[in-house]
Parts: sequence; C-alpha cells; structure tokens
Amino acid sequence: MNPTLHETTIAATALKLLLFPAYKSTDFEVHRNWLAITYSQPVRRWYYETTSPWTLDYPPFFAVFEWLLSLLAQFFDSDMLIVNNLGYSSNSTVFFQRLSVIFTELIFVYALYKLVGCVSDTSKQSAHAIALSLLLSPGLLIIDHIHFQYNGFMNGLLLLSILLARLPTTFLSSAMLFAAVLCLKHIYLYLAPAYFVYLLRNYCLGPNINLRYMFFHIRSRNCILLGATIIGIFGASFGPFVYWGQLPHLAARLFPFSRGLCHVYWAPNVWALYSFVDRALVYFAPQLGLHVQTAAIKNITRGIIGGTAFAVLPEITPRLTFLLTVIFQILPLMKLFMQPTFDNFIGTVTLCAFASFLFGWHVHEKAILLVMVPFSLLALKDNRYFTTFRSLAVAGHFSLFPLLFTAPELPIKFVYTVTWLLIFLHAFEKLAMASPIGSDCVFDRLTTLFILFTIPVAIYTSLVHGLLFGDKYEFLPLVVTSCYSAVGIMVSWIGLLRLYFA
Amino acid sequence: MPDLWSTDVQEFKTTTESALSRPVPVPFPLASFFQPLRRGASRYVVLSALLMIAFLYRWAVGLGPYSGMAAPPMYGDFEAQRHWMELTTQLPMKEWYWHDLEWWGLDYPPLTAYHSWLVGIIGTFINPTWFKLYDSRGLDDELLKVFMRASVVISEYLIYVPAVMLFVWAHGKQAGLSTYEKAIALAAILFQPSLMLIDHGHFQFNSVMFGFAFFAVDCFITDHILLGSLFFVLSICFKQMALYYAPAVFAYLLGLCIFPRVDIQRLFYLGLVVIGTLVLIFAPLILFGGPEQIQQCLFRVFPFARGLWEDKVANFWCATNVVLKFRETFAPATLQLASLGATLAGILPPCVLLFLNPEKRLLPLGLSACAWSFFLFSFQVHEKSVLLPLLPATLLLGGSLSQDTVSWVVWMNNIGMFSLWPLLRRDGLVLQYIVMSVFYAWLLGTFHRLPEHWFAKLTHVGSYCAILAIHAAEQYVGTVERYPDLWVVGNVLLCFGSYVIAWAWTLRRLWMETRGGKQKTE
Repeated sequence: MNPTLHETTIAATALKLLLFPAYKSTDFEVHRNWLAITYSQPVRRWYYETTSPWTLDYPPFFAVFEWLLSLLAQFFDSDMLIVNNLGYSSNSTVFFQRLSVIFTELIFVYALYKLVGCVSDTSKQSAHAIALSLLLSPGLLIIDHIHFQYNGFMNGLLLLSILLARLPTTFLSSAMLFAAVLCLKHIYLYLAPAYFVYLLRNYCLGPNINLRYMFFHIRSRNCILLGATIIGIFGASFGPFVYWGQLPHLAARLFPFSRGLCHVYWAPNVWALYSFVDRALVYFAPQLGLHVQTAAIKNITRGIIGGTAFAVLPEITPRLTFLLTVIFQILPLMKLFMQPTFDNFIGTVTLCAFASFLFGWHVHEKAILLVMVPFSLLALKDNRYFTTFRSLAVAGHFSLFPLLFTAPELPIKFVYTVTWLLIFLHAFEKLAMASPIGSDCVFDRLTTLFILFTIPVAIYTSLVHGLLFGDKYEFLPLVVTSCYSAVGIMVSWIGLLRLYFA
Repeated sequence: MPDLWSTDVQEFKTTTESALSRPVPVPFPLASFFQPLRRGASRYVVLSALLMIAFLYRWAVGLGPYSGMAAPPMYGDFEAQRHWMELTTQLPMKEWYWHDLEWWGLDYPPLTAYHSWLVGIIGTFINPTWFKLYDSRGLDDELLKVFMRASVVISEYLIYVPAVMLFVWAHGKQAGLSTYEKAIALAAILFQPSLMLIDHGHFQFNSVMFGFAFFAVDCFITDHILLGSLFFVLSICFKQMALYYAPAVFAYLLGLCIFPRVDIQRLFYLGLVVIGTLVLIFAPLILFGGPEQIQQCLFRVFPFARGLWEDKVANFWCATNVVLKFRETFAPATLQLASLGATLAGILPPCVLLFLNPEKRLLPLGLSACAWSFFLFSFQVHEKSVLLPLLPATLLLGGSLSQDTVSWVVWMNNIGMFSLWPLLRRDGLVLQYIVMSVFYAWLLGTFHRLPEHWFAKLTHVGSYCAILAIHAAEQYVGTVERYPDLWVVGNVLLCFGSYVIAWAWTLRRLWMETRGGKQKTE
C-alpha cells in the first residue's frame, strides 16, 4: 500500500526533527528531573526525592525506563542528570529528550505494522489507512513531540497487547504486555476491566456458560498461569517498594486525590459541561429561585489546581465520579461477558476509556488519546462507525489546542490538524463500506454540522479572542474549547453506545 | 458484513499481503505519496493537503534561528529586511535610498521597497515598536520573528506558489504528464530545500522574485508574451539578480519576433511594455523624490565599487583563486573586463540556441544555462545566487520525470545545499540543513537508484562521497591552524567542479532538446 508505513514514518520524522526548537511545556522539565533522579539516586529514594516540585508520580516501570534513558543521556550532556539543575535545558538536553521520544515511538510504528498484518485480505486497505492515521495523529504530535511526553511508545505497547488478544494462543502475552503497560502509566487502569472480563470469559472460563444455573467450567491451569503472570509483572515492578514498606507513599504519589475535579484546562468531559452550567446558573439563579453559595463564586475563573466548588449545583465527590464511571463501564462489560468476541473487546476497551474520560476525577485532556487509539480500530467497520468516529476525531483534537498557546506553534497545530482531518476523513469516507442496516441521517447531518461549526469556533479561540481582548478574559476561550469539544465527544460516545448495543 | 479482522487462525508473527495491499514499486519515495491519486483520491484534497504540508515544513524550518539572530553589532539579513520596513514606513520616499547607508542601506530595486512598505504598514498596525525609527534596531522579539516569518510565507503563497502551480499545470499538459505525475512534479518543486532554507531559515524574500519570474515563464508558455514581459520586468525590479535570466529571456523574445517570420510590431509592443513597466515602478520614486533617485538607486543596486567577490563562493574566480591569486595579480578594471568577457562567452550558447529555436519547452533549460554562466563568471556573486540556476533546473521536473532528469536535478540540488552549508552553519541552522537536505535527497530517490550512464554514476557517487568526507573532516578534525578556511575552500572547490558539470549537462540537454523530441516519464 502506498505510501508505505516506512515511508510515512520517515516523512513524519523529518517534520518532528524540525520541531526540536518548538515550545516545550513544564513536562520537559518533569522528565529531565526524572532522568536526574533515577540516574543519581538509589532506587530507594526515587519516590522520596523532592528537590524539584515535579516529583515522580508514574509507576516503577516508567522510572526504570527513565533510568535506562539516563544511561544514554550522560553521553549527550551529563549536566542534565544533576537533580539540582532545575529548569536545565541546554541544546543537547533538548536534542536528547526529543530524540528519545522519536526513537521510542518506533514501538508504536511496529505495533501498526502488526495491525496491518492481522487484518483479513479484503480489509488491508482500511487497516493501512487506519495505521497511517494513527501514525500521523495530531494528538501525538502536539502532546509528544511539542508539549513533550512519551505517549507514543506506551500506546504502541497498548496496541500490541490489544492485537495479541485476538487469538487464544497469545492471550497470555497480551495480559503480560498489558500488565507491563499498567506499570508504565497507571492511567491505563481504566481499560483494565475490559481486559479482565475478556480474558476471564475466554481464557479462564470454559466456552460453555449457563448463567441461569450458575454453571461455569473453570480452567484452573489457565487461571493459575494468568494469575502468576500478572502477579509476576506487578511483583517485578512494585516488589522492591513493598519490601521497603514504601507502598502507601507510592500510592499517594500515583493517585493524588487532593487535586480538584477539573484540571487547569478543563478536560472536555461531563464535569466541564457541569461547571459551565453551574456558572451559567449563577447568573440566572435569582430568577429561578435557586440558592447560591457565595463562597464558591470567588474562584470564578477556577484556573488553579485545587478544590472545585460549585455555586448552584450539588457538589461532586470522587466517590460519585467513581460510581458513574463504574456504571458506564459495567454496561459494555456485561455485553462483552456474554459475547466475548475480539470486535466486542475493542468496542469495550473504547467504551471503558470513554466512560473514564467523561466521568473521571481530575481527567487530563491528553487522556483523549486513550479513547482515540482503540476507536480508530473500529472506525472503518462500516460508515455508521465512521460517522461516530468523525466527531471524536474533530472534537478530540480540537480540545488539545489549548496545550499549545504560543504564537509560533499556532499555525502548526492548526494546519497539521486540518490537513490530517482533510486527508483521513476523505480517505475513511471512501473506504468505509455502506452499512447493510442503513445509517441514521439525522445523526449524520448533526455530526457534519458540528464539524463545520468547529472551524469558526477554533478560529475564535485561537486567534480572534487574542486579537480582540488581548490577555483579558483568558478563561473564556478555554471554557468555549472545553465545552464545545465535550459536546462532540459525548455525541461520539452516545453514537458508539447505540452501535455497540444495537 | 465482512469482518475487519482475519478469521484465519494465523500466528501473530506471519503477515499476509494480497495483490491489493502490496506496495506498488515507485521510482522514488515522493511518488509513493501520490499513489492514492491513481486509486481515485480527489485531486483537490491531494492538492490542498500538499500545499498545507509544504507550509508545515516551511514553518517548522522557520522555528529555527534567522540570519544575524542575537548577533550584534550588525546582525544580519533579518535585521536588513526589518530595517527596510522601518525606513519605508517612517521616512518619506525621497530619503529611502539615502538613509543611513552604513546600517543596511536599501540595495534592491524599488519593488522590494514597496513590498517592505506594505509589510511594514501591516506590522506597525499590529505593534508599532517593531518599526520605530532608530529605536527598533536589532530588535529581538519573538512575535516580531513570527510576523516576519509569516510575511515570507504569505508572500510566497501569494506569488511563488501560484506561479509554480500554473507552470506545472501548463508545461505538464504540453509534455503529456498525467495528474499523478504533475502532482509529483509540483511537490518536488515546492520542497526544494535551498529556497526553503534561504527564505524561511536565513530569511529573505527570494520567492517573490522567483514568483514573478516564473509567472513570466508561465505567460510565455501560454502565449501571453506581453504579460510575460511585464512580469519579468517586475521580477527584475524586485531583485536585480533576476537579470541573470535577462539575456535568455531577451533571446527567446527576439527569436519569437524573428522566427517564423519577422514581426516588428511584436518587438515594438514588447519594448513598450518593458519601458512602460519600468516607468510605472520608478514613477512613485521620481514623483516623490525627484529624478536623482534613479541614479542613487542604480548606484545602490549595482555596487561596482566592490571587488570581484566578497565571501567564498563556488564560482570560477574564487575557485581558481586557490591557484592563481587574481586579486593580487591583476588590476580591478582588468578583472572586471575579464569577468564580463567570460560571462558573455558563457551565455552565448544558450542564448543563440534559444534565439534560433524559440520553443516553450526550452525555456527552463535556457534560463538555467544562462544563470549558470552568470553565477560562474560574474561579478560580486553571492552563494545564495545559486538558487537562480537551480530553480529553473528543478522546474524541468514539470516536463519530465524520467530517471535521467530526476537524478541529475536532485544531484544539482544536493550540491546546491552543500554549497550553502557555510552560510547556514553561521546562522545556526545546522539541524534544518541536515534534515531538509537528507529528506529531499531521500524523497527524490538519491538513496534508491543511481543514474544509468557511467559518467553520471561516477560524478554523483564521487561528489556524495566527497561531501560526506568534508563534513566528517570538519566535524572530527576541526579547524586546521595553518589553513583556517580549509574546509570552506574544499566545499568551494567541490561545488565549483560540480557546477561546471551541471552547467555542461544543462547545455548538452538544451542542445539535445533542440535536436530531438520531448522526453516522457518512465
């Protein structure tokens, strides 16, 4: 298939190399700090080092990954490995770190090769298009190569573990890989229920199930194997810290619930819409006769990490968000339990990711990548799936725009995303087969309208607002971005739910 | 509904590839990106995507440093352009060519001044401090950089890109290229790395000059002679470097007036258009500044008081200077005469050929050959002037994507990039240089296929090895005490030798084309 993955990777890498001088966020310093900590400190002290405010808050495998990188880093600029060099960003440091993102992303490219390989002959073209769309994802470019993170290679491992779950012979490898991914970044915990149910049903239990009589056939050998594998991986990762009695401290680092419901930039989820409605109701409260909590009005812009207080609507607790996430995950999980096909597995992974994104506590907008990667695998099943995918593609990428707010990067994020959308929405539309059931015209038109309307909204939030108001009302474009994207993402979610349960 | 996933119980390791999914063998990687055109992709989507992707690479290059960034006391070309925007917006027209000539005095013809004025007006509207008289010298503001880079991109997309698109469309149609081939040619021209690095890295507005020049070529190949002359005069009035093309254009137009039958009327109208355009361009200057403006302008634009060359450049005088010390042996006047003589001798063959065979498909070759002669033998040549012969050579791809053409054109461009290395290294554009030169070389198949003829093989492989050797030596051996300019001189010698071969190839190709028929793609 032309262009091949290998050619596209080269072209994309050329662009990513040219982006080395671009803006980098504090995440760059975060990772430099972690390189320094893992290189210069003994393992015992990794989670206790607090010289820098950017403390280690990823699971141990990621710390090991940083340690491995630091071994190479010393040949580029050993000064970056000194913990006290806060904010150190010499040219060699930038070069090394950005290069490491590009290199580790090759795992993602490998996973995409495997994706195209797994697919039946008639669908090779579609799979190739999907692979290219993931390779060139604007989300990865914005987050990994400019803002600076390492999502590429972790998504690669995730994708590999999903693909390995296709055939019974590789279930164990899939579980092993997924456990390893969990130990790299615990955000993937949201997808764990899908794996659990899928493997339980297909691997641990026999094929015949009778719920009425509670008849299960437990395949004890498989259970033991699976259990041992997972315990082995987690043991290798967390074992030393358990031995040193550091587990509670680690847990506090990994799951910081003291942070507020919404992140600095509101992730485009239900709570963003909730906050917006709350703010709007503040103005209408007197007419509607609603009680307003005056204390909450003080943090009117709420751009800070901290407690979020609602003036009119009821408070949201972590427990509530957890409950909602669980409910909306259980629904697809139940269907997966009854029909544990590979297709349903991907659908469930996507829906679990959706549920956690939309209802979770302190969600980062970057987590939308977690939804987009598995959803891409479904996008070309037929044109109804494609329609549903469209609004996510547009809304999801648009929601990432506030991450790059500097002037030189503005044209890049805009033009790159528009180009990607143009190429792949066009390609997907040609490749998506007509559904035998027929598509929902209303839904189709709504998503088209949403996509078209995104253009003026994007121009307003990125350009016009700055020109008209300068630095004033800084929260306004952020609120508009979050809420507008949230609508698009929710529409996509509801669409997928309908298709999944149809 | 057929399932996306394979129902065969295959091992994870094996992959199957049906005929539908196997990649089509392509002559060079760039062609692979346009294969979807052959499978029914919309040409408008592909074209829009190509233009946007070309923009992305340009803007990414622009993220790097510019000429003279944070380099007092004089800074560089960026400051020069900014200064011209400053003086054209803040001072009356009669002072433009006289104001503070020591600090980057205006030394391009009036169209550059008008263009700077326009950009300056827009910039002043956004932020007046950028172009404040005297206060804004050496200004190092991030938003100013973004604005200036944007002005280059916008100027390019308004003038150069349409000109190139028109050329590929018209010339490609005449040469019988398919849509797929035309798209490849357009991409190959748009991604030309030297222009990208100079305009969007070092910082200049060469693309405007080339845009006007290529609009002229577009008009010539679509039989709009008078309009073409107008555009060509505009090109010269933007940057006098376009005069490198003037003899070829003149020969071509004269040929059109003589063959197949003598057409004095056409000649008369051509002269009228040329003079009329010149009058139009200079009119505002004279009206607001008086007639002495013309003399001062010409004095600034053609600085004959300067020497035979300034910096090390890969032309005849600088290269042979290693052996024969010209500047010490001969008087300036003698050298000027020698340079003039050599240049005239050099441009004679292509001009005569164009005069006798004023055919449209010979234009790019003629322009390139003429420009080569100027570059190699002329006065005060800058290394950036290599763009003048290189770009029409790249335009050749719009007429033929045969392996011979592609391999020679990309070789010329690769050498061109190498010759710009000393300049780019001074600017701090090392990353951009490496990425764009290697990327473009890869795109056009430098690493895939060698040319067929033994001489071409020898030349190409030999020069590439020499380039790698010089880069490696510069990196690992470093500066040699006795010969501090050793590697630059090596660069100059290699490039000069290659340019002579390139010039010879262009002349030979021109000769063959006047004899034989058109060449099609393979």
